[in-house]
Amino acid sequence: MDQRPRHLVQSVRYLTDESFVIRVERHSFFAAAGQHVTLGPRQFAINREFSIYSAPDKPYIEFLIKARAGSETALALRQARPGDEVDLAGPYGEFVIAAPEERSRRYLFVATGVGIAPFHCFVTHYPKLDYTLVHGIPRLEDRYDLDDYESGRYVACVSRETGGDYHGRVTDYLREHPVDPQRLCYVCGRSSMVSSVYDLLRAQGVPSDNLLTETFF
Amino acid sequence: MKIAISYPPIVNERGQVAMVSQNRNVQYFKTPTYLLPVVHAQAATWLRDIGCDVRWDDGNAQLKTFDEWYAGLLAWKPDAVVFESTTPVMKFYWKLVDRLKSDLPQAIMVMTGYHSMRKPQETMDSSQTDIVLLSNHVDFVLTKLIPFIAENDDWRRSCMIDGLLLRVDEKSVRSTGTFKRVEDLDLAPDIDRDLVEWKRYAFENGNFLRTPGTYATSVIRDCTFGKCTFCRYNGPDLTFSIRSVEKSLNEYQRLIEDYGVKEIFDDSGVWYRGEQARAFARGIIDRGLHKRGCYFGFNTRFGYLDDETIALLAKANFRFVLVGLEAADEETLMRLNKGYLPHQAYQNLERFTKYGLHPHLTIMVGYYWQSAEQLAQTVSTVRDMMFKGLARTLQVTICTPLDFTPYHNECIEKNVLLTNDYNDFDMSRLIVKTPIPHDAYYQAIRDMYGIALNPRFLARQLRFLASGRIRDTEFLFRYGWRALRRVRNHVYNLTSRGTQG
Repeated sequence: MDQRPRHLVQSVRYLTDESFVIRVERHSFFAAAGQHVTLGPRQFAINREFSIYSAPDKPYIEFLIKARAGSETALALRQARPGDEVDLAGPYGEFVIAAPEERSRRYLFVATGVGIAPFHCFVTHYPKLDYTLVHGIPRLEDRYDLDDYESGRYVACVSRETGGDYHGRVTDYLREHPVDPQRLCYVCGRSSMVSSVYDLLRAQGVPSDNLLTETFF
Repeated sequence: MKIAISYPPIVNERGQVAMVSQNRNVQYFKTPTYLLPVVHAQAATWLRDIGCDVRWDDGNAQLKTFDEWYAGLLAWKPDAVVFESTTPVMKFYWKLVDRLKSDLPQAIMVMTGYHSMRKPQETMDSSQTDIVLLSNHVDFVLTKLIPFIAENDDWRRSCMIDGLLLRVDEKSVRSTGTFKRVEDLDLAPDIDRDLVEWKRYAFENGNFLRTPGTYATSVIRDCTFGKCTFCRYNGPDLTFSIRSVEKSLNEYQRLIEDYGVKEIFDDSGVWYRGEQARAFARGIIDRGLHKRGCYFGFNTRFGYLDDETIALLAKANFRFVLVGLEAADEETLMRLNKGYLPHQAYQNLERFTKYGLHPHLTIMVGYYWQSAEQLAQTVSTVRDMMFKGLARTLQVTICTPLDFTPYHNECIEKNVLLTNDYNDFDMSRLIVKTPIPHDAYYQAIRDMYGIALNPRFLARQLRFLASGRIRDTEFLFRYGWRALRRVRNHVYNLTSRGTQG
């Protein structure tokens, strides 16, 4: 007999044509800020890993998802309605802030697309964090929930439109704005971006022990 | 520099040879199974490409005795010898390194692999090893490290390449910090098949229905999922790296056209999924490689491949799908962080078989918590899947804590390990305390391997012939005999030493 709590969908908030935030019931599920889960509609044949978007102290769990053509799980979740059930397993991962109480620590967060999810979780859960978030996106509309980031801490690197904080890719921005090597750097996104940013930050003197990466697939 | 990438023949007291097996763990087998160590083969190729004199030194695949292998290595006088570590062969390697250091004092001993990368200081303390690689990207690190050593006499003190533990002198070692976890695999070369004598690995491998078969240069290094607690591809130090579809397709084309390969298996922890899997299948079809008499296979996990992708893979002549069914009960799947639920195993197998793929189940037994009911559920589920034709072949292993994976660390923390002698970690018997006698798990292994001889299973295979697919005929008449031989070997290996611990 299945003893797991049933996680029902509470809402789906559409951010762009492809991106949305799905909110599900938390029950007793606990994950540290930055962790991820496997998620899929109930009894669905496949699932996917998604980083948690919302803070761990919220009574719900949110996920920021981009549903492209061919992405069966994401598309199905996009169609979910309040009351639908999802299967959720985890949490997984060690992409977490080890000592958020250390106020002297300064952080650099680098993300592309929905790779911003764990950083949204960090900044909403640890409001006094001293961070800069560099976000690579194709369009201005991909600046998801911009108001949740403290003014001056969020840098939108927009590659296909003008009007963001920087026109170009995150790697171009980081080349033009070298990083203080003392910063703790977290990088989240696709493999090629993570690899490039890692090399760039190492070349700028960031020690390898100060670099944490999370790769999306 | 002269670099030997070495796999010494390691023979146990029963005359069995240590072979790399599922998840690149070492198991001792009498009947050989030769698996190409892909990352090390890439390292050999890359080192050769940058001007090193490389010796591909797999004593097992080259059918050498230990003495022949050792004498050959000494005669070659390497400047550096690279080994790949895993728990059950650590003591052997430490002794071997010390012997080599006494016979070849100038040669640099380099230890790679998942055991030593998790416990680098232990290898330094237990042997005269000069360098332990903390990185799984052996090829990327060695191609930086070896030229640095060649150009810098004081390399022990001056080398700052990430991810190394270096012996500075007799009294001290130093670390160069964390390694780069994500590499651009397109920068690493395809394996030079001639350099590694690919044909030595082309026949004695149970994953191949047609031979000669070969392992592709992996499209994913380690695992895209990477959460299963027992797996060496899991840990805070690891993630995955990826190779482009186009580069991999080029290699497949070359393997088929230049080498006449008849089956290609990609041993990535978990292969592509989604758009990349579909792009790969479309690429195979666009290049006409699906009509060249070559089957393709890969590892995946339940819950990863959708219907459209599987259909396309089948059209592209994919056949062998290796998938882990570590248990059939939800508690165990949750504890192992498998990330799928029992119903998904059935749903996914139905999808694979609907399109004519041949799923191969890798099952494990003997978790320290596994109850009689959970074990029985696994056996009955496997039997049901095999009788229904949802899976074609299987392998069962004893879940052995290895290489300081999360499961290994959990066993240590919970004090359930029955031995601390690394030689006992060879997957030949249970080494954890369990709630039921060990014999129950060994019997479960025999029961599951015995399915291959059950009339209901055989009848199902005969019914597959009605599909008209050549692969089903080949499976029954060509592969069947080989499979039976291997089943006998597996059962002997896994259960003959079994005694209640």
